[in-house]
Amino acid sequence: MSSALSRRRFLGGSMALAAGAAAGSFLTACGGGDSGGDTEINALLITGGDRYPAYWEKVTSAFKAQTGITVTYDLLQFTPLTSKEITLAAARSTQYDVYSTHTAQIGAFFPHFEPLNNHFDAADLADFFPVAIQYMTNPANGELAAIPRNMDSRTQYYRRDLYEAAGVQPAKTWEELVTVGQQLTSGGQFGLVLPGQGDPAQRQFADFLWQAGGDWLDQNNNVTFNSPAGVEALTFYRDLIQEHRITPSDVVTYQWNENSAGFTNGTCAAVFDWPGAYASFGDPALSTVSDTFATAPMPSHATSASCAISHGLAINKYSRNKDAAAQFLKFTVTPDALVDQYAEFKNYPSRMSTADQVIGQAQGMEQQWLSDLRTTIENGKEWPKVPGFDKVSTVVQTAVQNALSDQMSPQAALDAAAAECTRILQQSGALR
Amino acid sequence: MATSQMSRPRAPVARRSRPAPKWLTGYALAAPAILLMLVIFLYPLGHSFVMSFFRWDLNSAESPFLGLSNYTDLFTGTSFGQTLRNQVIFTVASLVIEVVGGMAIAVLLSSKLRGLRPARTLLLIPPMVAPAVVGLNFRWLFNEQYGLIDAVLVRLGLPAIPWLSDPAWALVSVIIASAWQNTPLLVLLFLAGLQAIPREPLEAAAVDGASAWRTFWAIVLPLMRPVVVIAMMIRIIDLFRTFDVVWLMTQGGPGNASNLLTVEAYKLAFQSVDFGHAAAVSYVALVLSLLVLALLYGIPRLTSGRSAWQA
Repeated sequence: MSSALSRRRFLGGSMALAAGAAAGSFLTACGGGDSGGDTEINALLITGGDRYPAYWEKVTSAFKAQTGITVTYDLLQFTPLTSKEITLAAARSTQYDVYSTHTAQIGAFFPHFEPLNNHFDAADLADFFPVAIQYMTNPANGELAAIPRNMDSRTQYYRRDLYEAAGVQPAKTWEELVTVGQQLTSGGQFGLVLPGQGDPAQRQFADFLWQAGGDWLDQNNNVTFNSPAGVEALTFYRDLIQEHRITPSDVVTYQWNENSAGFTNGTCAAVFDWPGAYASFGDPALSTVSDTFATAPMPSHATSASCAISHGLAINKYSRNKDAAAQFLKFTVTPDALVDQYAEFKNYPSRMSTADQVIGQAQGMEQQWLSDLRTTIENGKEWPKVPGFDKVSTVVQTAVQNALSDQMSPQAALDAAAAECTRILQQSGALR
Repeated sequence: MATSQMSRPRAPVARRSRPAPKWLTGYALAAPAILLMLVIFLYPLGHSFVMSFFRWDLNSAESPFLGLSNYTDLFTGTSFGQTLRNQVIFTVASLVIEVVGGMAIAVLLSSKLRGLRPARTLLLIPPMVAPAVVGLNFRWLFNEQYGLIDAVLVRLGLPAIPWLSDPAWALVSVIIASAWQNTPLLVLLFLAGLQAIPREPLEAAAVDGASAWRTFWAIVLPLMRPVVVIAMMIRIIDLFRTFDVVWLMTQGGPGNASNLLTVEAYKLAFQSVDFGHAAAVSYVALVLSLLVLALLYGIPRLTSGRSAWQA
């Protein structure tokens, strides 16, 4: 009798081994994630620079010291973070218990985030900026999908030295934006930098749309962004680039990073950017204008509205550790945590009481900036959170770029987009 | 009797187990690989095909059957027509540049000219670079404010070109970047093909006094046909899958000026969160590339009765 391993026996044995291993993994998976030891949660968190890893390490260590719950986490930048969360949500993944999220994309995730209404009491929620809570809430059922951590709203940052040398003040109106920009544009220097591609272009158009007195949809969800106000907004946006030429000519390829870089490298005299930019603009390691920039409120037209959106945290609906995850969320939005986040990144607190606290503690230009920003946030807006609006956003982004690059007139670009968006909203059930 | 009969030792029965047919053994051995292929290749392919007939997004728990609606939506929308046109231009232009350029460089390198040896080694570099790195590098090279290419043009007294921001130039920029990376691959393939050509017909042509150009058209190119066809097929498959370079250079813009089918599918899936339409776009791309490959394979058979592989 031969003891040599035949090919057939080897094959059979290998398959049995593989089946055993697969069955083992399957049974482990069915058995749930609680191994009976210390509670552990997994989080997919946002990063945006060198200081974020250390920050999240500090937060999760402090959380473990207070609650005994271990947070293991992965960090991703905003765009790959969103793409990964879409994939995970589509797969009903239980890999992560906590997700970083943002108002702009929250609409797609409403069915996949755990409602937070039962985890936060109404009195506590009342301390957050109402606009932040409003747009993190699913309008269809009133469920809060994420807790806002920091406000994301626009400020007009400008070069104090260049403005003083030219004898001009930061623009208060659209008309002043053009005239000031023209005065500061010459010899490779530009009066303004704007983003012109993707989601940042839609965000910029949204600001101009609201400032022109327009809006995205009416009360019945009919498309209105191609109204006369919308056309005026997109025409103004295009003319800043193509007619007045106060921006670099290639801004239609700019997203947030290029937008900020245009200001920090000293090429452009003004930029509209988020609160976190205050920290990077003021950091000599990252900015050539750290000593010479100043801030002003956004220019206005028919209104002075700008966006008031927020970064936040949500609980995965398919998580097996929802209570522990909720504890982590609460820990990250305590007033102390928000103050610490402001000190670290100049991220504007999502709680009104904390905003008042940091305004009170700040001085000079920083205090004025915080105070102006609070007004912007209180009057701020966001695009609608109705089913299908993610598709609408993609269509509008292309329409805006078509107009900015002079491929279509603003009217034609918006009308074509409006017709397609109407069909999208009808198909998604948002519009009858 | 009965007892004695029972106690009688039985004669050993010579049981010869019938060997399993060879085909069965073959299938059994191949089964794990086939199973693995079914799971990781055919199942996703089939699933995404089914998905293209349903509404499939994150917004709703239900995924109703839509028939061909996802496909018809593409052709009535604002962007898909231009995307298809871009894909055709991108594929044809890239193929022409890469095949013609690749052949020219291969012929040059196969000549006895001195100093060309290092060029063969250098040719290996572009195909080895990750497409994402190529996209980022060309985004900087074509940058209008700080880019090297415009700086050189201006230094030469020529006007700067808005490579990435002008709709007329954006697709051209992407084609240039793609050709830079992939032409060397075809050069290597063609070099191998040129070295395998028998010397006799070339020597006979030389004896007959044929010019180099005439020799190339009448002898070299026909003998190289199988290599050229294979190279074109490989590149067509790749060109319909191109994503990284376009995404990093232009994201398909400005507007849709450089949008390709893969970029459109990505935008639909990960920006619009609309997997049904994204799957439909992917299948249009698959069918189109198969159609082009079928034409490339079938035309020689129809016109000359020869396989595309035959010289």
